[in-house]
Amino acid sequence: MSGGGNRKKNTRSQGWEDAGSDFYQESYPLDPEFEVLQKDPKHLHTLLPSKQTRAAVATIRMRTNDYRSNKSTVRRHTASRSRSRRDSTVHRRTSTIGGDVQLSMLPDLSEMKTNEESAWEEVMRLKELPIPMSQKKEMKNKIMNEPNLRLQGYENFKWKRRKLWSYMETRVRESLRKIELWKGSLRHIEGNFGTGVVAFFLFVKWLFFLNCGISFCIFLYLTLPSILLNYEKGFNCTDSDLACICADSYFNSSQTENNIVLEVIQGTGFLERTLLFYGFYTNTVLSYTVGSVEMYYNIPLAYILVMLACYFISMVMILRSAAKGFNERLVESEGQFYLYCNLVFGGWDFCIDNEKAARTKHRAIYNEIKAALETEKLTEERQGRTRKEQYKIFLGRLVVNILVIVILIGCGIVIYYTFDFSTKQIEQHSTQEIETNEKMLQLLYEFLPSMIIVSMNIIVPFTFRFLISFEKYTPIVEIRFTLIRTVFLRLASLVVLYASLLARITCHDPNDYTCTPCKDSPECWETFVGQQIFKLLVFDFGMHVILTFIVNFVRSLLAKHLNNKFFEFIGEQTFDLSKHALDVVYTQTLCWFGMFYAPLLSFLAAVMFFFLFYIKKFNCVINCKPSPMIYRASRSHSMFMVVLLVSYLFAFLPIAYSIYELMPSKSCGPFSGEKTVWSLMVDLFMSWPEWIQKCVFYLSTPGFVIPFFIVLVLLLYYYSAINSANRHMVVVLKNQLVLEGHDKQFLLDRLSLFIKQENQKRARAEQMRDRDRDRDSDSRNT
Amino acid sequence: MGQGKSQFTEDELQDYQDLTYFTKKEVLYAHQKFKSLAPEKVGHNKNAKLPMSKLLQFPELSVNPFGERICKVFSSSQDGDCTFEDFLDMMSVFCENAPKPVKAEHAFRIFDFDGDDMLGISDLKQIINRLTNDNKLNDSEMSMLIQNILAEADLDDDNALSFAEFEHIIDRSPDFLSSFRIRL
Repeated sequence: MSGGGNRKKNTRSQGWEDAGSDFYQESYPLDPEFEVLQKDPKHLHTLLPSKQTRAAVATIRMRTNDYRSNKSTVRRHTASRSRSRRDSTVHRRTSTIGGDVQLSMLPDLSEMKTNEESAWEEVMRLKELPIPMSQKKEMKNKIMNEPNLRLQGYENFKWKRRKLWSYMETRVRESLRKIELWKGSLRHIEGNFGTGVVAFFLFVKWLFFLNCGISFCIFLYLTLPSILLNYEKGFNCTDSDLACICADSYFNSSQTENNIVLEVIQGTGFLERTLLFYGFYTNTVLSYTVGSVEMYYNIPLAYILVMLACYFISMVMILRSAAKGFNERLVESEGQFYLYCNLVFGGWDFCIDNEKAARTKHRAIYNEIKAALETEKLTEERQGRTRKEQYKIFLGRLVVNILVIVILIGCGIVIYYTFDFSTKQIEQHSTQEIETNEKMLQLLYEFLPSMIIVSMNIIVPFTFRFLISFEKYTPIVEIRFTLIRTVFLRLASLVVLYASLLARITCHDPNDYTCTPCKDSPECWETFVGQQIFKLLVFDFGMHVILTFIVNFVRSLLAKHLNNKFFEFIGEQTFDLSKHALDVVYTQTLCWFGMFYAPLLSFLAAVMFFFLFYIKKFNCVINCKPSPMIYRASRSHSMFMVVLLVSYLFAFLPIAYSIYELMPSKSCGPFSGEKTVWSLMVDLFMSWPEWIQKCVFYLSTPGFVIPFFIVLVLLLYYYSAINSANRHMVVVLKNQLVLEGHDKQFLLDRLSLFIKQENQKRARAEQMRDRDRDRDSDSRNT
Repeated sequence: MGQGKSQFTEDELQDYQDLTYFTKKEVLYAHQKFKSLAPEKVGHNKNAKLPMSKLLQFPELSVNPFGERICKVFSSSQDGDCTFEDFLDMMSVFCENAPKPVKAEHAFRIFDFDGDDMLGISDLKQIINRLTNDNKLNDSEMSMLIQNILAEADLDDDNALSFAEFEHIIDRSPDFLSSFRIRL
């Protein structure tokens, strides 16, 4: 209690009101805000515990955590650390109270029993505190100068090891930072186009590394052994060994000499019999000696295992990367997504570093806000739509969807017949002597299917984009629909390609005694398929180069330097993220599909992605203007991953089918002579010890499968029940929170009213007293 | 690099490494950046205090609608002038390795223009105006937007966002981490 108050009390006549306020003052003796409170009762809410600095709460938690973690094991340490990381969001008061309060709220370190490890942890945690560096340093010194308990024995060893780990970690991080690929490019793009577009480039980078990993695997386990151990190809065949005879005839058949450039881009000629294609790998078990021990390397087995492993790795990587995105989508679909908050609080990309990009960003945010508000109005409007309008829109959508399907089917038919036509033409020509001017024609036929497919991929999406405007969707839905349709177009063209390839390599009446399954199918159909995919890949890449550096570049130049409405219309381009993502995904799909038939295709794809990064960067930075639309990093990332996953399935399923069903060609490859590729695995399985076989067979009996299935269903049910209960709980708690908020508001109002009355009463009492005193002095005077 | 190194002792660097999300090399790199803002001042005194106007020449801050606010929040003298240590604090919060709660904490303070520890309607208005810059929303749009934000996030109905509510938003915002970041 302050001395001033005491004196006052002696002079004053004692009313209960004064006692009340004194009591109040006593319970908050040094509260500087009390003065303010008396003047302005509205200020009361700043005194609420929840509004007090979050530091107070945080420090207490921090201390308890430390107390606990002192006793517990290292594992507990890390757990409590991660927990306290969430809690210790200390707030730096910028208001009147300033520095001293702040320090008093930080943990009082002298009280704690510390040892070296916890002290170190303490220091590591300092970086999370939002206080200036000088104070952090002070605190660090304080902690370091404390008398620490020395750790003994095993504890000490563990602690040393931990410290070493963290040291190594920073070292590794430092050196990784130095060799990080495309750091400058990414930064540049981010500064100019924002995080959404950078997400695309990170995606390309991710694919590049994925393909590097895959090709490394394949090279190490498949190509390298083949090179090192596969010395010469001699064919000393016995009459009964059909595979050997066929291989002999395949490898010794003369190749027509051709232009070497053409051979390289078509994958024919000398390239056909290199490690690039399936046909080159042998079906032998290679043997070598290490010291005096003879070792074996089973190429066919290695081939299939490596391939399956690569597909598996790809899938795991996609799922891992997509998991985050899916999570978010779930949040979004559950309606717990903060659209507007996201726009306002997460809208600005803090990485933007130049005036022009900033202006675009301002504009984009403005547009997005407007669009969001308008969408809201639209939904309201939709509810008010008349039945006639609804029918009209429905009819429009129906017609457009039918049109889209017709276009897709049309594309399929065109591709099928082109493929048919071109193969027939090539065969006709190959039987005759080729003259120089017909060479070009032949080349044209070779590339005709690829050309048709690629040009369709360019033209048809434009049609889709035009058609969608008749459907009257909201902009986001519009983008999504166009994307889905375009994905279908690309995949459909691939499916048709598969079908026509399949038609070429299978026959209804397989004749077992010739090397080729049908009379007009290629000798080594796997290599043939690999070549087709190789051609498509090369052509697709070529188109990217041409479109980017010639067509689009010229367009952008026209738009920039000729101030003409018409040229601006033709020339101006924005970086359409979904289109470019599709380009990249398409390349990857081709790579996955062709990988089985041309193992080194993944290496080629890695190289392509390396250059694609620069091609796309050129397209983005030089050719395009920043898009007026906001691309969200998270949303675009999850979109890429979903599309990639779908494409993965489209690439992998045909491969799985061919492994399981199709007969490998007899004249080439690691599986010649087998009935199917999979039968090799079956043989291998049969050679395993009997008990393993029995176990596996048991796993496939109904006695195991049915109970297993039931347990799974029960688990599923259990989790879905928990989920729905939780969701219900969220709703209940939310309502409760709102009620609490109302209660608080109500109580605060009451309290401030009370204080106001109190003040008024006191003022009145003082007035009365003054009047009394006046009267007293008056009466004394008289 | 050699010149930059000579300005710090090994102990200082160790301190900085322990107290920020940076490694020693990155601290030195940050100092280079800081120095390039005002070479003549920082050359003499590595921890010189730069006025806010100088600091706002840092490219990311210069175009950032909240640039001034950021300087003020991180300045130890609270007037927007920053020493190198303040600058390092700032970059540490904005770097990739800083965890979400730390970022959320500072974001809240940056957005809290009037310093009352709540994001009230006036704060929100200010944020939106700075975001859209020249293209101003009209009054009805603005009030509608603010209503929507409050409807989404203001759980206790007091027409302002407390830190807890803000943190909740950030938890649910997938893009916050990637957007609230400045690459050194």
